[in-house]
This record gives sequence, structure tokens and C-alpha cells, in this order.
Amino acid sequence: MSQDLLQATLLWLLTRGETAKVTTGNLAINGPTPKSWLVEHNNWVFLLPTVLFFLWYQVYPIVRVVWISFTDYKYLTNDPANWVGFDNYVEVLSDPLMWDSLGRAAYFTAMFLPGTIIIPLLLAVLIHGVQNQRLATVYRVILLIPAVIPSTLVFVLWKWMYNYQIGPINHFLVEVTGWFTYRNAPQWLGGTDLTLPSVAIMEVWWGLGYHSVFFLAGLAAIPKDLPEAARIDGAGEWQVFWHIILPRLQPIMLILVILRFGTSMGVIDEYLIFGGFNRESPTYTWTIFMYDQAFKTGLWRQGFAAAIGMVGSLAMMVFVTWLIYIFRSRD
Amino acid sequence: MRKEKELIYQQQLRQDLLDHKMDRREFISKTLTAGLGLAGVGVISNFGNFAQAQSRPLTPTFYQWIEDLHPGIPQVNSRFPDVNYQIAPVEGFGIERFVAEAKKKDSTWDVYVGQTPFVEMTAMIEADVIEPWDNYIPKDVIDDIIPSIREECTINGKMYGWPFLLDVIGTGWHAGIVKEAGLPDGAPATWQDYLSRADQVIESGAAPFGATFDANGWRSLAPFTHSLSSDVYTSEGLFDFTGDAAIEALMLMKNIMSKSHPDIMLAGTSDGGVNGTPDEVAFAAQRVGYYNKYFNAPLRMAQYWDNPKDLRMGPLPKFAGGEGSTVFWTTGAALFKHGKNKEKAAEYVKALTYDQQIWKDSIAGTETAHPGQLPPYKSLYAGWKSSQPDWLPDFVDLVRGQLDQAKAITNHLFGLQQFQIGKPIWESYLKGEERNPRVAMQKVVDAVQAEMKRG
Repeated sequence: MSQDLLQATLLWLLTRGETAKVTTGNLAINGPTPKSWLVEHNNWVFLLPTVLFFLWYQVYPIVRVVWISFTDYKYLTNDPANWVGFDNYVEVLSDPLMWDSLGRAAYFTAMFLPGTIIIPLLLAVLIHGVQNQRLATVYRVILLIPAVIPSTLVFVLWKWMYNYQIGPINHFLVEVTGWFTYRNAPQWLGGTDLTLPSVAIMEVWWGLGYHSVFFLAGLAAIPKDLPEAARIDGAGEWQVFWHIILPRLQPIMLILVILRFGTSMGVIDEYLIFGGFNRESPTYTWTIFMYDQAFKTGLWRQGFAAAIGMVGSLAMMVFVTWLIYIFRSRD
Repeated sequence: MRKEKELIYQQQLRQDLLDHKMDRREFISKTLTAGLGLAGVGVISNFGNFAQAQSRPLTPTFYQWIEDLHPGIPQVNSRFPDVNYQIAPVEGFGIERFVAEAKKKDSTWDVYVGQTPFVEMTAMIEADVIEPWDNYIPKDVIDDIIPSIREECTINGKMYGWPFLLDVIGTGWHAGIVKEAGLPDGAPATWQDYLSRADQVIESGAAPFGATFDANGWRSLAPFTHSLSSDVYTSEGLFDFTGDAAIEALMLMKNIMSKSHPDIMLAGTSDGGVNGTPDEVAFAAQRVGYYNKYFNAPLRMAQYWDNPKDLRMGPLPKFAGGEGSTVFWTTGAALFKHGKNKEKAAEYVKALTYDQQIWKDSIAGTETAHPGQLPPYKSLYAGWKSSQPDWLPDFVDLVRGQLDQAKAITNHLFGLQQFQIGKPIWESYLKGEERNPRVAMQKVVDAVQAEMKRG
């Protein structure tokens, strides 16, 4: 009987849900010639693993964080989480440290984002103009070198470069140029005012090749007759760039701006490495504040930390919406 | 065979019930299921990791740096053929993974070697991650631990940490620089002497900077305070930032800073800013004469010198009329409450902590490392005193003498965080932004209290 039921279920799946009549030891299908349900819905079957993965690793954590942000959940205790409504949000929004740390992240983004768009764009335009293909390839390879260096090595390299006492930058400024002494040389890292610009320079350098490739791909897609026609009509190189090339690179710029805005506002590793948990440090941004509260301080107030994360994320979403509006297509 | 397995299983259930790892309802359910025989045991595996526990070898996990600095550990492991030695998924004092597993009443590991009591022990107890060693550690071992260290590892009368590697804050100096400055090649006895010698180093041109320290509070403010008085903790176990001793220590720090490299206050470049600090770079670059930190630091940094044998070490200087104490901490072993093989874990940690080769390598150094960390046991020092090995440097006996007065930072949930919260605030005085040290320290107290009120 149970075997019959199993067969019936399988047949139901394979026959677009046609009713399967079960009789003892006998199975009959009513209706037209069956067309496989699997065949008809195979797109969903193939999508299923991805959908499940997405739901479990993307949607569920977000939903959970939203829920936690409305509770007084403390990770180090076994007490159950109590619903506290908007208390965490009120506390976050009334905490000066939240605004300071959000401001620091925005300040970093304001330095990083233009650098990571404008410089690769200009480099891409220059390389695109190189007539000698071999030379163009060499330039592309050189540009891409930083992008293939593992993050750990990048951090070690720049930590050494920026080191106050033994770094080559200060060595140059003190020993070679004589502009500074070891008593007043710039302190690049460790929570000074120069730390965020220093990290921004490192990040721009690191992404130079990667971002230039985006623009090179965009430039290759622009029909060659457009700038040529403009030049014949008397347009200068600057006008060609401004009125023909740049508008056609806007979709790429939009993607890069949105991607890099998210990463720059959400930087955490670099700040942990170059600034630590000093609350007065420029590197103590909202991401560090969130991590500090969730995994370092007191009983690990993850409800409060989740609210920090939600406020930070919502602020970013509002800004991204505005960016999409700014970079919208005007064709 | 089947009966034997059922009996083992029943004993395991009983132990878990006694250890409060399950409630009575779960115990009864499992016992009833066990009545199904081996089939039942199969079903039981859904309740927990019993089957895994029976077959799991002793699984210790070590903080990465311990393996890096102590190459003798594999030798100890070889005496435990089945040991499943692992490196802990922690960095920068992080214990997140341990807490996450404890919430599921589970632990991948049996023992964690890397716990610093004042940093994380209270948090591990709060989160129900660890249990006391008292039921497993032999009495002769407990009696052998130096009393101040035993106190450090004890909370509410129970020993939650088995001490292993002892770090003591002391003084290191570069004998080459000191001699060039025309100074005696010995440890400065008082802070006054220390400061005047640091001045002499700079004036003589022997080095650009006289002295340095690690700006993290538990490595400078606390030990400097202890050198005047170690009775500097409030009734709730927090550091007394506004006490006279702490104020004196803060003023001393400002005095030393005036003879030090300008980046002394900057955060370090690893482990969330607490390691890779500027003092280490200055000492390694032979730009400074005197140095206060735990001995591991000058030992590591001296390896970069033209002549590493120029390193000298001694105890922390005293304030005139001061107690002459310092700060120490041990990095030891924590026993996971939800781990297995607890008796075996105790046997292993005992073998590890008494291993003579590990101590020789630590104190005298090897080709790969020279941590300078000391043992926590009276008997080891007594043995070396009665029959001094040729590899034993003089500073060990000096430090052992200071350990009778030394004190660890009191265990508290904010044991480490109080210093991290306070550092940028007391630095307002060190940088000259705030002229009154008491005002700066009162702000530190307010900030720590505010954070504690938050939870």
C-alpha cells in the first residue's frame, strides 16, 4: 500500500498533477498522455539550489539581524532575548559616537570614491589611446599588479611604507629631503588625522588596475565612428571626452560608484589593522563601533549592535538611491 | 559487546546530567531511547555528539603565537600519541567561536591554551564556555603555583585558568647605548633614576630617544601604578583610575614621553591595534635606551640589533617609598565545559606546563624564537636555584623575587575594555590638551561607568 502511495506521488510529480487513482496493487492514471512536470518546470528545479542558498545565507541573516535589533539580546548571557521595540534605535540615534563614527566613514568615502573613479577613468582613457598594442598590453599588466596581490601582503607592504620610524616615506622626507626630522615627521597610521587619507591612498592604489579594466571595457564598446565624426566636425579632445566618451561610460561609473560606495562605507579590516579600538581615532567608524559592541565590550550587546548595523545600512541605502538618481541615463 | 556499550552510554548520560549539560527531561528521554539497544544509540546521536565523544581523541587548541614562540610543543604532543593538536580560530583576544559553540552546548575542542585571565576569563565564564579545573587538576600542582598567579586564575574560589606562560612587565635596556652614554650597565632602581638616565642617553647622543613604553594601559599605566601601590582596584574589581597611585603613574608616563619617540601613543598595526606597537619598532631600530614592557618584547626586538647580546633586563623601577610591585599575566589553559576528555586534558596540560625543554627554550631562546616567558610553578624556580643551569639568565631570579609582590590585573568583564575605553581620554592629559591629570582620569571613570550601564 505504502509503495503504491510512493508510486502515485512520483507519478503525480511527473504528470502535471494529474490525479493518480490508487487501488490495492493496481495503479491507473486518468487524463491525457502525461507530459513531465519536471520537464515543464525544469528552470525552477535548476534554480532551486541557488534559491535555497540565497534564502539561507542572504535573506535569513538579514531577517535575523532585523529581529535582533528590536531585542535586548546579549551574546554572553544565556538569558532569552526580550522585545524592546525601538529602544535600541533610539539609543543608537542619540549616541554621539554613532554620528561621529558614521561621519568618519563618510569622510573616508568622500576621499576614496572620487579617487577610485576618476584616476582609473583617466588611466583607462590614456591606455585606450595607446596605438602600439604591445605597449598597451604592458600598461594593462602593470596596472593590474596591485589587484592580484593578496590583501595580507598589501597591508604588510603599506604598514611598512607608512611606518613612522623605519618606513621609506618618512625616510625620504627626513633623510633625503630634510623637510622633516624624526621629531616632527608625519604620523601616517595609528589613529592620527592622517590615517584615513593614508588608508584611502592605499585603497585607491590597490583598486587602480581592477577599476581601470572596467573603464577599458566600456571604452572598447564605444563605436569608433562617434568620436571620429566629432573630431571631423571640429571638436577638441576634451570635448570628445566630455560629451561623447563620458556619457557612454556613465553606466559603468554608476556600477562602480554603487559598489565602491558600499565597500568604502563598510570598511572594517583596514581600520582594525591601522587604527584599533581607540574611540577617538578617525578609524573608529560605525562598522568598528558595531563590532566593538557585538564582540568586544561588556556582555556583547548584539541587539544594540544590530541596530547600529541597521541604521548604518539604511543611511547607505538612502545615499545609494540618490546616487542612482544622479547617475541615471539621460540618453 | 552491546550491553557494554549501553552501560558506557548510561554512565555518560549520568555524567552529563550531573554536569548540568542536560535537563532531567532530556536525560529520561535519552535513557528510554537507550533501552532500544544499539538501534537506540544510533537514534541518540541525534540528541548530541555521544558517538563522536567516544571516538574523539584529546583535542587541544592553541593560540597561534604560542606555537610560533614555543617550538617544543610538538615534543610534548609526541608523548600523547592520539592528540589532535589544533590552532584556535581566534585573533585579537576574540572568543566568538567558543561562545557560539557553547550556546549549542558543544565544543570542537577540549582545552584552549591561550586564555589570559583578565582579558577573557570572566567573559568565558559568563557565556558558560569554560568550567573550573578544580575537579581535574592534581592538588600538588595547585600547591605548586605561585600564590599571586593562583589568585589571578581564580574567580569565586574556583580555578578557571591553568597558568602556563608568565609575562611580567619589567625593564629592558640596550647595553651598547647605555655604555656609550656613560651610564652604569644595570637596572635603574627608581623612576627618578630611570628618567635621569633617559635624559643622559639623549644628551650624550648615544640614541635619539631615552626611554619608551607600550601605551596600552594594561602594559604601562597599570604596572607603573603597581610600582607605587598594587592596592588600586575598586570593590567591584575595576582599576581605580582616580586613585593617587594611578595619577602618579599617569604623570610619570608624561615624563617618560618627553624623552621618547613622538609616535609612542599610536595604535599598533596588528591584533586590533594592541600589537606591533611603535615602542617595539623604536627598540628594534636601536633608537632608544630603556624600555618597559613584558620581557618577551625586548627579547624579540633585540634579535634585530647589530649585537643582540647587548640586551639587558631587570625589574620595573620603583617610586620612592613605593611598593615595588609590577603587573604580570599568564597565558594559560581553559577547560571547555562542553568539551570531552577532561582528565586527559589535565594530564596533557600538566605535561605541557612542567616540560623542562619548553622552559629552557622560552628563557634561553632557540634559533627561531626567544619569548622570555616564565613558568608559574614554585618548584621549577626552586630547582633552578638549587642547581642553576648554565642557560639561566640572571633576570629570571630578579623577576621571581618581584613575583611575590606582583599583582595581576583584577578579573572583571571590563578588565581589558576599561583600559581601551580610557586610553584616548587619559591621552588628553599626556598630549597636553588637558592640564589636570585628575580631570582626565575622572572622565575615564565616567566613560567606563557609562559603558557598563549600557550592559
